[in-house]
Amino acid sequence: MKDVQLRNSTIFLKIIFVISAAVIFFIAGITFKHITVLKKSSKWVEQSHNVNMELERLISYLKDAETGQRGYILTNDKSFLTPYTESKTLIRDSYKKVSALTENSRTQQANLKNLLFYINKRQNYLSKTLYLTQQENYDKKILNNYLIIGKSAMDSVRTKIENMMSTQQNLLQNRQEDYKSTMNYTPLLIYLTLLVTLVLITISFIKMNRDLVKLRKTINTLSVANEASNLAEVVGGFGSWQYNLETNEYNFSDNEYRLLGVKPQSFKPSLEEFLKFVHPDDIQYVIDNAKNIPTNSILPPFTYRIIRKDGEIRYFRTLGRVVTIASGERTHIGTTSDVTEEVYANKFIEDRNRELESNNKELTAFNYIASHDLQEPLRKIETFLSRLVTKDYSNLSKSGQQYVTSIQSSAQRMRILIEDLLQFSRTNKTEKVFEDADLNSLLENAKQELTQIIEEKQAIIESSELPTLKVIPFQIQQLFINLIGNSLKYSKENRTPIIKITCSKIVANDDEFLPNNNMKYHKIIVEDNGIGFDQEYVKKIFILFSRLHNKNEYEGTGIGLAICKKIVENHQGFIFAKGVLNQGAAFFIYLPID
Amino acid sequence: MTTEYINICLADDDQDDRLFFTDAFDELKIKTKVSTFNDGVELMNYLNDADSVLPNVLFLDLNMPKKNGLECLLEIKKNENLNDIAIAIYSTSSSEEHIEETFINGANIYIKKPSDFETLKKILAEVVTINWQYHTSGLNKDNFLMRM
Amino acid sequence: MKVHLKYNYPQLTKKIIQDKLSELGYKFKIIGFGEFVFLEKIPTEKMMELTEQFQEYGIEVVENQKSVLVQKIKDVIVEMVNSEIPLNVKSSVHIAEKLNLSYVHLSSIFSEVTYTSIENYIIIQKIELAKQLIINTDMNLTEISIQLNYSSVAHLSTQFKNNTGMTPSAFQRIIAKRKEFTNKNNS
Repeated sequence: MKDVQLRNSTIFLKIIFVISAAVIFFIAGITFKHITVLKKSSKWVEQSHNVNMELERLISYLKDAETGQRGYILTNDKSFLTPYTESKTLIRDSYKKVSALTENSRTQQANLKNLLFYINKRQNYLSKTLYLTQQENYDKKILNNYLIIGKSAMDSVRTKIENMMSTQQNLLQNRQEDYKSTMNYTPLLIYLTLLVTLVLITISFIKMNRDLVKLRKTINTLSVANEASNLAEVVGGFGSWQYNLETNEYNFSDNEYRLLGVKPQSFKPSLEEFLKFVHPDDIQYVIDNAKNIPTNSILPPFTYRIIRKDGEIRYFRTLGRVVTIASGERTHIGTTSDVTEEVYANKFIEDRNRELESNNKELTAFNYIASHDLQEPLRKIETFLSRLVTKDYSNLSKSGQQYVTSIQSSAQRMRILIEDLLQFSRTNKTEKVFEDADLNSLLENAKQELTQIIEEKQAIIESSELPTLKVIPFQIQQLFINLIGNSLKYSKENRTPIIKITCSKIVANDDEFLPNNNMKYHKIIVEDNGIGFDQEYVKKIFILFSRLHNKNEYEGTGIGLAICKKIVENHQGFIFAKGVLNQGAAFFIYLPID
Repeated sequence: MTTEYINICLADDDQDDRLFFTDAFDELKIKTKVSTFNDGVELMNYLNDADSVLPNVLFLDLNMPKKNGLECLLEIKKNENLNDIAIAIYSTSSSEEHIEETFINGANIYIKKPSDFETLKKILAEVVTINWQYHTSGLNKDNFLMRM
Repeated sequence: MKVHLKYNYPQLTKKIIQDKLSELGYKFKIIGFGEFVFLEKIPTEKMMELTEQFQEYGIEVVENQKSVLVQKIKDVIVEMVNSEIPLNVKSSVHIAEKLNLSYVHLSSIFSEVTYTSIENYIIIQKIELAKQLIINTDMNLTEISIQLNYSSVAHLSTQFKNNTGMTPSAFQRIIAKRKEFTNKNNS
């Protein structure tokens, strides 16, 4: 997980946290407000309820008083007067309670005053009635009057109380109205906010989960990478080190220690400790190079020797460079490889190369000198022989003449062989210049060289357009000379030799002779209508000195085609042949198109 | 060629080759005066001597001690007095590069030493004859190139 | 700066002879190519002086009758080879006609003096011209073979190779490389 991603996640989470906290505070605030409102509301309800209840009680007490009075009037039993006597206090208390309860409302207070009047009136008439009835003789009419007035007062009380109760109800409703809106949207708001918070929490959860998964994966990958790198160090035979540019401290990997032949982390990593292992002759060299570590951003590779704890000398190569890690710190990291095998192998190869080169030079010189210097005495032999034949042939006996002739033909054969060998040894690649050459002109030159034989045999040579290639011009010319020369030499008697040279571009895959790959070649075919050869011997004809005819039938040394093969190989090409006895032969030359 | 002699010089360190050479000219009908030298130093000393009769044709072997044929060739070509001499390189080598090199360096003729005496005679006769034609017909010696 | 030259030998030699003779002061008349006559007697020393002067130019005073004839034959051959007009008749016939003598006679004298046959000399001249054309012009071998009256390019190549021992193209290449070499050494 990249550092940027990590940072973004952190910011994101911080934001979510702040938003969530804000939301929670918001909700808390709203809830608090709601609850307060609710409390107030219920308080009002309770109060109204209490008022109503108290008013009911008031009426009830009055009724009790009335009932008591009525009962007494009916029965003259004093026990019925208990509620009446008790009621006074109760009514007064109740009235006080209601007054207290409604002290906030002026309307109600006014109503109360009004009520009091009527209550008093009622109580008054109750007591008046009572007093009256306590007399021996009373006027029933006055009693009725009192009762009627008393009833009307009671009615007024009742009405007043009902009035008060409905007023109280209105009051309550008004108060409730104020808080209704609050009541109404508060839950909605809370639900909404709750929902939003839920969503936010879900998002954070998902994000954090994802981050955690990523982090876990990264840690896994890192662990694996770390393990792999440790393993790589062991397998690859190298160790790694770090030099922290801020703290100037070294850190060696486990394998760095193992390379030195000691246990991992067996000493505190430092340059001084490391130098203890360096070969005394190389110490200054290593110091000079290591100077670059704190200062330069690239430490180029340098090779030096160390002596392991067990005394074995190994070759180490160290290199490094500075990297800037996520936190901005700059660290110089590097590797130390054990290149002992490589150094020895190189030395070995160099030695072998030198050996081979000198061998090669010797062989080439030998080949050349042998062929060249052999020619001298041979030429003398032939020349003196020819002198002998010219001057003294007739002086020789019959057998002597035969012998001389045989010597001559052997000598001649030897000369041709040496000439061909010389040519073969010259067909090498080293020190030859590859240049762009028009194969058509090379073919022309070849034809010119063979003009005489071509005329003699009245041969027809047809050719299609040949390309211009980077070749050793003289060798390709020789190739043509040898092949066309062969075609002419092995032409059929009484048949006009026709030699066709064609060229085309092909891909290796599509060709019968070439290996299966996608390389492209120019395919040049030289075919004739001569005596051909048995396809069975096709492999033999390119072998040095191998011939299909004995020297009496056709002259030749068996080197010509070997030279052709060598020339073609010098050009990274191939040559193959196909022949049909008595019909003709075709040679296929492949030269790469690069 | 009337009564004039054609002057021929040969520089070759090989005794047998010198013998073949002089014998061949002896048997040819052409009127020639042949001088031979054993190495390049002898040859150059002779050529640089003001009193010497310069040859019409000079045959140079390539492989000679002290001073080889190529060195002689270059020296001769640098010397204006010796410009009129037709130079024939007379050698055993058949390397194309060698042969071309001698022409490029100024040789007129290249002869690969033959292995048959009669062939030698024929070659020498042809060289001398053609050279004579160049000499008597005012042909451009710069274009005189022959390879036998 | 390189300058290429082409020589018109007849004109060249004529001018030299004219100049030299005029210098000498004796009356003369030029009859033909390689031939002139003194209109008054000339002392031997003056003649020798003239001969020496001519020698500086490579001009030889020919004394021998046979040599004179041979020179004439050579002149005819050179003219014949160099002319661009193809011959209708065999060269032998042409020469015989031109010089008004039998070809057999001409042949024998030519061989005696030059040690080579007329046919061979013709070939030498032709090849010589071919060499010049190869070096100094852009003509290819086909064109050259046509101009020199060869039946085919192969014929030219064969003769060229027989005469010089190398193919025309090899010749061309060597001359070019030689020029390069001398240029390098001179610069």
